[in-house]
Amino acid sequence: MEETKKMTRQEKKALKERLKHLKSGKLEKRDASRGYLFMIPWFIGVAVFLAYPLGTSFWYSLNGIRNTPQGLFYTFKQFGNYTNILVRDPDFIVELVDYVTSTILSVPIIVVFALIIAMMLNMKIKGKSFFRLIFFLPVIIVSGPILGMLTEEGAGSISAIDMNAITAAISGVLPRMLAEPISDLFNNMITTLWYSGVQILIFLSGLQKIDKSMYEAAKIDGGSGWECFWKITLPNIKPMILLNVVYTVIFISSNSQNPIIGLIQTSMFSGDQDKGYGYAAAMAWLYSVVVILIVGLFALLLMTRKGAYEKQVKRAKKAKKQEARNRKKIERRNVRNAKRIERQRAQGKITSRTTSREDY
Amino acid sequence: MKKKILALVLAALMLVSVLAACNKGGSGGGSTTTTVSGEYEEVEINGYKYKKAKDMTTDNITLTIHQFDQKEVYELLAQRFHEIYPNINVVVSYATVGDDYNNALTSMVQNNQAPDVLMYSDCDYALSNGYLLDFSSFWNSDPETQNLADTINDAGLGCFNLEGGQRYAVPFKFFPGIIYIDKNVMKTLNIPMPDQTWTWSEMINIIKQATGHADIDGMKYYGLYPYNRLDSYYGIAARQDIIGEFGFNGQEFDLSEWAIGEQEFSDLKLGGYVCPDRESDANEAWTGDWDTWAGATSHVAVFSEAFWTFQSSWNNPSFKEANPTIDIYPYVVPAVSEADASAGHHSIATLDFGGIGSGTKYPREAYELMKFVSFGIDGWHTRNEIYANEENVNASGTPLKYDVMPVPLTKDETILNEYVNNVYCAGMDDEHKEAWKTYFQSCMQPISFGWTNIAGYNNFLVNYFNNLSIHTLVDNGSAKAADYKDEAKRQADYYHAKAMLDDFGPTSLYKVLNEDEIARYQAVVDAFEKG
Repeated sequence: MEETKKMTRQEKKALKERLKHLKSGKLEKRDASRGYLFMIPWFIGVAVFLAYPLGTSFWYSLNGIRNTPQGLFYTFKQFGNYTNILVRDPDFIVELVDYVTSTILSVPIIVVFALIIAMMLNMKIKGKSFFRLIFFLPVIIVSGPILGMLTEEGAGSISAIDMNAITAAISGVLPRMLAEPISDLFNNMITTLWYSGVQILIFLSGLQKIDKSMYEAAKIDGGSGWECFWKITLPNIKPMILLNVVYTVIFISSNSQNPIIGLIQTSMFSGDQDKGYGYAAAMAWLYSVVVILIVGLFALLLMTRKGAYEKQVKRAKKAKKQEARNRKKIERRNVRNAKRIERQRAQGKITSRTTSREDY
Repeated sequence: MKKKILALVLAALMLVSVLAACNKGGSGGGSTTTTVSGEYEEVEINGYKYKKAKDMTTDNITLTIHQFDQKEVYELLAQRFHEIYPNINVVVSYATVGDDYNNALTSMVQNNQAPDVLMYSDCDYALSNGYLLDFSSFWNSDPETQNLADTINDAGLGCFNLEGGQRYAVPFKFFPGIIYIDKNVMKTLNIPMPDQTWTWSEMINIIKQATGHADIDGMKYYGLYPYNRLDSYYGIAARQDIIGEFGFNGQEFDLSEWAIGEQEFSDLKLGGYVCPDRESDANEAWTGDWDTWAGATSHVAVFSEAFWTFQSSWNNPSFKEANPTIDIYPYVVPAVSEADASAGHHSIATLDFGGIGSGTKYPREAYELMKFVSFGIDGWHTRNEIYANEENVNASGTPLKYDVMPVPLTKDETILNEYVNNVYCAGMDDEHKEAWKTYFQSCMQPISFGWTNIAGYNNFLVNYFNNLSIHTLVDNGSAKAADYKDEAKRQADYYHAKAMLDDFGPTSLYKVLNEDEIARYQAVVDAFEKG
């Protein structure tokens, strides 16, 4: 038995050695190099358009910069720009708080609205394609300065809503910090809902992938439309909800209408020597950290149950394996003990008395 | 093997073309002249004899001009400049004023294509990045610079009050301050028209007298429509030693005059003498339409409208046809004291500045181009020719005259007569033409808005004045202007002193302050920071 084990180890070792010196075939090699070749543009793209700008922008954020016709002049400030933003710049903190509040409030509204519209567009109605086009149209309009012009003209709000009454009502109940973003949300309701074009498409594709037989089976069992939505539709499109939430947060955060983007741009072109490129870069970095935190918060809230279930299964499997290993260990120990007793008996160390559990 | 050679050749070609594209165009080693020689030869174009400077390069060069004036006018000016100097090609870069403009300018600088001549919207941005070149040596040796609107030299507009006498900027566009009066409204209300030498208190009286009278035709008359705030006007018209907003005298601020003007304007607003804002419920209640412009109602007597509004709206043929009852007369912004009113006096004006790019290789040629597009006699003759021809239109088809046409900065009589007779007052009756002639004679002592000409002014606005919303607080009666004047002065002096040190001090790009100046500005900064 021991001999066989030794052989296997040797064999394994030899195999490993052989594999080490084994050269891959020409075809395999060519395939691999082609793979790398196709990946090179991506690596170059990431290096040039992502890693380099990120690094440069971080370096900028640690400096005071003057952009002269003779070149860029740097004054190393360590984290001075960050300190100035957080300690001396009241606008940034105020705008940041407004941004966080309004994002947390508007993201659920946009996503729920998109889901409702997607479900309606997924029903059997005449002119379905036309309506899909209508709801996607704002995606083209909301980009660029057109949105700014429409908002200036008052097209972003619902004129039938009495904003003064709503603002007064909200201000009476909530603190100013919360009341203002909520009242702004009502004031820009149309604009907010315009942001949902892409999300509608994503939900629509998710809804169309749901197996219809599930609804049929549910209906045979007497399930209502409401029950079907909660038990079939929603669980099936949960990954889409997370995707849409992340997309919406990123869209709102990088939108040109966002006051923080405006603030960063203004700081970039400020004549104040304490501001400029370095200051704006530091602002952008602080802002991006906040955006990442918001995305993380939503991701934590919307992590699907399926993921948690899979984790539990994995944990159970691990426990089972451990149990099996322990069992084998005990078995091996029993075999060893039995052999030891046999040997001792042969050597006459143990009398003919039948061994009992107490001997051990 | 063939493929490899082909690939190598292609790669080499691409590299060469990329490097060629990166290289900035132009030839020659740049000009070294630092003065204007005053030697010219004549070049006749369209019957006019242009003065072609002899001390310019003969190399074939390209000059770039970055501006936010009228794009079409600059293209025509560049074309004419090229006709005078065939070896100089002018590239016109245009962007709308604001962040887009600065963005475009920054991109040009970063791409090693810094303009040779440029306009700026905020002097702090241009100075802190060292965009402007000191062209005082050209300016001082050029006789034409001595015949400009008085304050350009007297108040040192564009010089940033430096004791060394440097000049970094000059107004490219001049829109004088103006008060318009609707003669028909005055006639209806039986109020006599004032003289051109009127005073501030006369203006306030007219505003008050003209308000009310709803019994005449059921619609209330208002004394004033304020496009520009009256406090900005008052702060300059109050005293002749004031050469900048908020009582700036060249070294420090004094907001006592501003506070009087601000409070008076607030009192007029709260007293109901000022017509409602456009796009407001009050405007809808008054005119029946949310969006109606007060200038088209025939129910406002006095307007502190922009200079360009007359040509773009009131004098526009289509507007005149639709609103025959409106009869607008121009008045210089009145002085506060009678003595100043009867003599010439300072008045606030929209002056957009520019200068020579500090990165230019051809400062002499850039100076000549800058002069041609801003204050030069030859340039203004060309402008008059462009504006007089109504076939020259902007992108929306409007003749350039009715777009945003500035006023000549030069006091050259031939140019002013050309401008008044052939361009501005073309088609007007004698009475109106006379009123405009008198106005143009009285408006030649302009003082610019602060952000164009006072270092640190914009930082003061952003960090203190606008941050506290002082205008809003005083306008709605929740605060008095006088309460802010002392602290505002302290803040304004600090931001100015700090900007002077940052932009011109020992650690700046220019390093032109003398020891006395450094000590003076440093003392202000230290006193402020100590608290």
